[in-house]
Amino acid sequence: MSNEVRISAQAAKGPSLFRRLTASHGFMAVASPIVLLLLWEVAAQARLLDPRFFPAPSSVLGELVTLTLSGELPINLGWTVQRVLIGFVCGAVPAILLGLVMGLSPLLNALLRPTIAAIYPIPKIALFPLIMLIFGLGETSKWVIVGIAVFFQVFFSTLAGVVNIEHIYLDVATNFGASRWQAYRTVALPAALPFIFTGCQLGLGMALIVVVVAEQFGTKLGLGFMIWRSWQIFEVRDMFVALIVVALLGYGSQLAMLALERRLVQWKPKSGSQEVKT
Amino acid sequence: MLGASASNDKRAGPVKISIDGLSKTFASGKLTVTALDAFDLRINEGEFICIVGPSGCGKTTLLRILAGLETPTGGEVRIARGDGNRPLSSMVFQESSVFPWMRVRDNVGYGLDLRGIDRGMRDRTVAHFLELAGLARFGDAWPHQLSGGMKQRVSVARAFANDPEILLMDEPFAALDEQTKIILQQELLRLWSETRKTVLFITHSIDEALVLSDRVLVMSGRPGRVRADIRVDFARPRFVHELKADAGFGRLWHEIWRLLDSSGKLV
Repeated sequence: MSNEVRISAQAAKGPSLFRRLTASHGFMAVASPIVLLLLWEVAAQARLLDPRFFPAPSSVLGELVTLTLSGELPINLGWTVQRVLIGFVCGAVPAILLGLVMGLSPLLNALLRPTIAAIYPIPKIALFPLIMLIFGLGETSKWVIVGIAVFFQVFFSTLAGVVNIEHIYLDVATNFGASRWQAYRTVALPAALPFIFTGCQLGLGMALIVVVVAEQFGTKLGLGFMIWRSWQIFEVRDMFVALIVVALLGYGSQLAMLALERRLVQWKPKSGSQEVKT
Repeated sequence: MLGASASNDKRAGPVKISIDGLSKTFASGKLTVTALDAFDLRINEGEFICIVGPSGCGKTTLLRILAGLETPTGGEVRIARGDGNRPLSSMVFQESSVFPWMRVRDNVGYGLDLRGIDRGMRDRTVAHFLELAGLARFGDAWPHQLSGGMKQRVSVARAFANDPEILLMDEPFAALDEQTKIILQQELLRLWSETRKTVLFITHSIDEALVLSDRVLVMSGRPGRVRADIRVDFARPRFVHELKADAGFGRLWHEIWRLLDSSGKLV
């Protein structure tokens, strides 16, 4: 029986611990930054890195604890979160409404789209001086600039979502006698929802970028302010603390958005799901 | 015209739909396509009509006009209304038109929800049609969890649950495999026998037309006209597999085939 090919179950002896760990994507995802931080720590302790620019992770961690306990960090974090949230709502809500309406109305689309498309390529932060001229140095100008940044991301995603709705779904709504409002509620909005969520995720990322820059002006509060101040007084550890918190904030907000999407868009097939036969 | 003129048939109900001189022209740029021209048709209350014809003969256009999805360019359609509360027509579409973002239950209840039918009544109606369509266990499923055949059941149940005066079906089973198709044809007959709605059913399949309908309208190519109006007298209730063994079935099948063939363009 030399010409035999056998396909049998895996040998009972499991793979080694090392192979099991490297095969686990979750483990590798956690392990790689930890290894990187360890290397950084060692390099900083051994003075291979200039501590004026790259302080040891342990000293940054110590600073993070100090700033947290003193209340300085939570207060700054709170201000940034508040600006992002208010700005986000101010941008996303009109973006979704306008995207839905323009998506179903060729006339409005023809009317408004060129203007919106012309403003879109301007780097949003370049508008900030103008916004500050109009709204002053206070909170309003920060909400407005974050709102503008969020608006464009969410608007174009929503519009794309509505324009791409398969026409047959709108035919069903018409045939079943849906009013215009009912067609928006039962077809346009749910069909565009996955696109809207993509836009909101991009928008949140954009909001963080904009808010950190905007907090350079007219405020003494916020993570952005922390970063700019530590640059001025050359306190690099504070800067790293603020950078870490901004990064975590960005990551956390994306996770929150994903969780919300999973709740609201349960109908999207997950890969590998089974269908029921007739 | 071949076949009996069914509008004079004593057994049929009063005239439900009168179509006179209906025409529809689509214009896109310099190109104009006449889908329907001087089209006349009478359909009686409670009749099950199948329309067969070559592609582009305007049969889908006819259905879409009746469904309120297109406006005619000329002529008129008159539909005798029953009591005022029921919706005029519900359509079962070609492709899967089931909303992926609604559970099966909410798809079936769609028309009722739009009309604001009270919750208890709505739930009872939905449960009834889920049961009749063989979907009782799948009320809470998402459409993506269902096969094509199951999705078309949802589409059919949605149209029936809406309780329209006229049911419009645009090749609803065309994309299904043969076995599923026969099962669904049988179930459609059972559903229909309970309600006896006026049905206009478009199909490419002569088999399907003969199995389901009281009358088969054979249409000619563009612009679409009724080439023949053929009465199908098989007794009801019908059983799809037995019907195909009937001698009369083969004869009618052949007659329709010849009409389609001589209309020149088949497919």
